[in-house]
Amino acid sequence: MKKNSKTALAAAALLSAGALFFAGVSRLDAHHAFGAEFDPNLPVLLKGPLVRVEWINPHTWFHVEVTAKDGTKEVWMVEGGTPNSLLRRGLKRDTLKPGQVVIVDGYQSKDRSKRANGRDVTLADGQKFFMGSSGTGAPYDAPGKDQRK
Amino acid sequence: MRSSATISCALLLAAGSLPGADTRRTPDGHPDLSGLYDIATLTPLVRPPNVGGRLNLTDAEAKAIAKADADRKAKLNVASDPNRKAPPAGGDGSEGAAGNVGGYNTLWVDNGNGAFKIDGTWRTSILIDPPDGRFPEMTSNARKRAMERGRLQRPNRGDAWWIKEGITPGPFDDPEIRGLAERCLLGFGSSAGPPALPVLYNNVKQIVQTKDTIVILNEMVHDVRTVRMNAKHDPPDIRKWLGDSVGHWEGDTLVVDTTNFNDHPALFSATRDLHVVERFKRLDDKTLLYRFTVEDPSVWTKPWTGEYVWPATESRIYEYACHEGNYSFANILRGARLLEAEALAKPAGQDK
Repeated sequence: MKKNSKTALAAAALLSAGALFFAGVSRLDAHHAFGAEFDPNLPVLLKGPLVRVEWINPHTWFHVEVTAKDGTKEVWMVEGGTPNSLLRRGLKRDTLKPGQVVIVDGYQSKDRSKRANGRDVTLADGQKFFMGSSGTGAPYDAPGKDQRK
Repeated sequence: MRSSATISCALLLAAGSLPGADTRRTPDGHPDLSGLYDIATLTPLVRPPNVGGRLNLTDAEAKAIAKADADRKAKLNVASDPNRKAPPAGGDGSEGAAGNVGGYNTLWVDNGNGAFKIDGTWRTSILIDPPDGRFPEMTSNARKRAMERGRLQRPNRGDAWWIKEGITPGPFDDPEIRGLAERCLLGFGSSAGPPALPVLYNNVKQIVQTKDTIVILNEMVHDVRTVRMNAKHDPPDIRKWLGDSVGHWEGDTLVVDTTNFNDHPALFSATRDLHVVERFKRLDDKTLLYRFTVEDPSVWTKPWTGEYVWPATESRIYEYACHEGNYSFANILRGARLLEAEALAKPAGQDK
């Protein structure tokens, strides 16, 4: 028991070291600061069908049609990351099709246009893109290996 | 003939430059460094405080680091609540580039899945000299410049704080004072370098080698470095974004010397006085050792050196045409104008 708890403590310490180590490494810079572009005072939840996906660099933009309470429709643009990361996970330009319903939570652009960051972009059932598709594009399934066929 | 070859071989061995018999070579006899490499690693540039002065990690620590990272990513990748609400007003508290608005999903990130090993041991940092794994002291002028940059940093509160605080020029007053990455001029984080450093994604490099020229193509912003072999540097008045790189072989090590940077090298804090010497050495058929020494007397009081491995990858290198869809830049500037107009329209002292 004593030995077990000692082992558990050692394991916890190691995990903690791992977590701290990671914290030291997390490179928080990126192509641009999302904080410069989006307003923390304007949270949004968007749900609707994809109109189109701009599969472009530096960042992907999803166009999502949102229906307001009064029935009017407006198209929002949602910013993601580089398509290159998704290519490495088996996601292709035509994988996400117009009409596919997505849910996005994020923050609206400071310029008040219909743009937001895709803080969390999921399919209609809450699944992340291509999660759980074992061996065929799940992130980190085969690190460093190009999974595009 | 045979004895002469034996003597040459013995001399090479003595110099420590004889590679393994299976080292791939170009027709001119040098190690063939060409290929694709994915340099992503969780090991940071600077040694983290929690490992003290240690150069190496134990196997158990390296395993814990990889597990902590895998667990963290797995947790972030589980399905979200399809009935979730919008995130909190006032921001989600995220830091760095995520800037209190949360950035984007983890599946966009390609920052590696573990520490790296050299000579069979895991490393705590890329930086190895100074021996404590941390930067040498900065010059007083460089510290002043860093403080000046810091003066223009604020947490993202969605307001035009520079108007409220009367700071002129403000950080969004001129597109040309925005960061090089935001403007798609160079990759962020010294991705292409020199020195080349691992970043959050797009860490694939391609080396194309000929007798006279060696090209390093960087996926990030498809920055291309062209190393002219056995050449002289350009005259000092010719200045370049990626510097002027000339190379030569020292035994089986490719040495690349880079000077002639313009006023804005990709390496944080560096100036036009930056001088980088890189050493590329093939460790085995699938791994290069990349070592570099940085000196910039306008910034650091001493040179500093780092090293890490470049593992070969089966991944392809993809285009990253940064200007193609850089909507963000216009959005950022437009947003700043709108927030400024709002701040100016409000009576003094009345915050948002």
